[in-house]
Amino acid sequence: MRNPVGWAALTAFSLAFFAFIYAPLFVIIGYSFNSNPVNMMIWEHFTFDWYTGLLGLSDRTTDVSNRAAYVESTDQMLAALRTSLTVALFTTTISTVIGTATAIALARYRFRMRGFYNGFLMLPMMMPDIVLGIGLLIFFVTIGMKLSMLTIIIGHCTFLTSYVFIIVQARIAGIDPALEEASADLGASEWVTLRKVLLPQLTPGILGGALLAFVISMDDLVITYFISGTGDTTLPVFIFGMIRRGVKPEINAIATLIILASVVIAALGLWLRSRKTD
Amino acid sequence: MAVKRQSVVLGVLLAPVTLFLGVFFLLPLCIIALFSLLTPGLYGGVEWSFYHWNYGRIFGWADGINEIFEPIYLQILWRSLSFAALTVVLTLILCYPVAFWVSRLNDRWRLVFLFLITLPFFCSLIVRLYAWLLILKPTGLLNTILLWTGLISEPLEILYTPAAVVLGMVYVMIPFMFLPLYAAVDNLDRAQVEASMDLGANRIQTFLKVILPQTLPGILGGAVIVFIPSVGNFVVPDVLGGAKGLMIGNLVEQQFLSSRNWPFGSALSMIIMGVVLTVLMVSVTRARKVSGHA
Repeated sequence: MRNPVGWAALTAFSLAFFAFIYAPLFVIIGYSFNSNPVNMMIWEHFTFDWYTGLLGLSDRTTDVSNRAAYVESTDQMLAALRTSLTVALFTTTISTVIGTATAIALARYRFRMRGFYNGFLMLPMMMPDIVLGIGLLIFFVTIGMKLSMLTIIIGHCTFLTSYVFIIVQARIAGIDPALEEASADLGASEWVTLRKVLLPQLTPGILGGALLAFVISMDDLVITYFISGTGDTTLPVFIFGMIRRGVKPEINAIATLIILASVVIAALGLWLRSRKTD
Repeated sequence: MAVKRQSVVLGVLLAPVTLFLGVFFLLPLCIIALFSLLTPGLYGGVEWSFYHWNYGRIFGWADGINEIFEPIYLQILWRSLSFAALTVVLTLILCYPVAFWVSRLNDRWRLVFLFLITLPFFCSLIVRLYAWLLILKPTGLLNTILLWTGLISEPLEILYTPAAVVLGMVYVMIPFMFLPLYAAVDNLDRAQVEASMDLGANRIQTFLKVILPQTLPGILGGAVIVFIPSVGNFVVPDVLGGAKGLMIGNLVEQQFLSSRNWPFGSALSMIIMGVVLTVLMVSVTRARKVSGHA
């Protein structure tokens, strides 16, 4: 690696690699400002119309039937976004509580089934989405549970609990148990020690786990696709359906907004992590 | 050490996960196993009687007829395995040099590029695949550019081919390969690399004898993490693949949402689960062996 030619070649390869990763995202962003409504691949001129239409500020379609279809799909999309946010909020809360409790139990207690739990908690993460999705579908149908937002929330929690568990467990590994021992020696009950000594030290890890759970829940497509039924749809499932039915130009604007949101969330995650190391 | 007696608190901490994953994870997996052995009903649904032809069909025999051997499902299974393996190899080839490059940057730039590699992970999978749809379409960006430069005279048919599926999978799996690889490359003992060069080994020897063995755990970890979601993937082939890019995941989806043959779909899922568990078991035993050597 010491010779400059080799290093230059490696640098060129690496920069091309990052271009490969980011080019597709910039393609979407670019096309989201293209005014051509018929063929979005042919550049007409710059416009904000897809964004204003999406946010309900304007409507460029003129004939009545077209307009009705347009408004309907925008409404459906906003409803899907609301469902996604609601589901993500509930799943984040539930999986964070369960995952954190499990991580504490496995890190601070020695019991016979500990090894089993450690392995078992990897399984929901490693199980392919499609297997988990159809398993839950058959399960809900067999026990006669109607597919709804509740089934989506349950489905997300099954694998997100494991993600939170991993993140929190990594955090606990770096915490010296001496403080907890001191607390116990000074007469605090197990429960009080846990709440007043361990949990405050764990907060960054818990927040990190919750953020990850939120992001994955917002993005989950496969499991939701199988267990969402006909009523509630989440945003990824809605976009998936849109891609299958044929693409409309406003999808570029939605996609650009999603890219923007993910940059904000990733930056937030980075900030959380940098605070952790302080 | 915080070795504590088993207590009520432990019970309270473990009860939620045990109940939740027991009911909503283990039970559904058992139900798939059960359904894969039941008779498909005429109009969707199942009849509660034992039936082994769901598996027979996967391995090439049509329902109850031993004479006709038509291994179409085996072909699709083979295709899924080879696409997943190809995805592993390609992500590895792309990520390995870049992991080296990033690990040699100064602190500030290293953080910037590590952030850039994790960023797509936060970005919606379906949005990233949709971008490739825009690029690969016959009237898409790639063809527009190639036609404009005169490199080709007719639009390339890339979309809805196996190549598009593998390209899409490589694209979405890159962060999963990169991060374990980077961790291994970053922990590389540079003194050993330099010692090897000083003692007269050439670059290739140093790579094979020093660098490769030390980064092997990262390579294997990345390979497992990329292979498992790839083999059962149905979104990528659904969006970017045509009939020739059909994978076992698409087959499962069809059985549940259009053909309504749940037992056959369950049997196919059991095959996916079998592949995944085998890969996991092999990788865990290997990892134990590798760490045993160290």
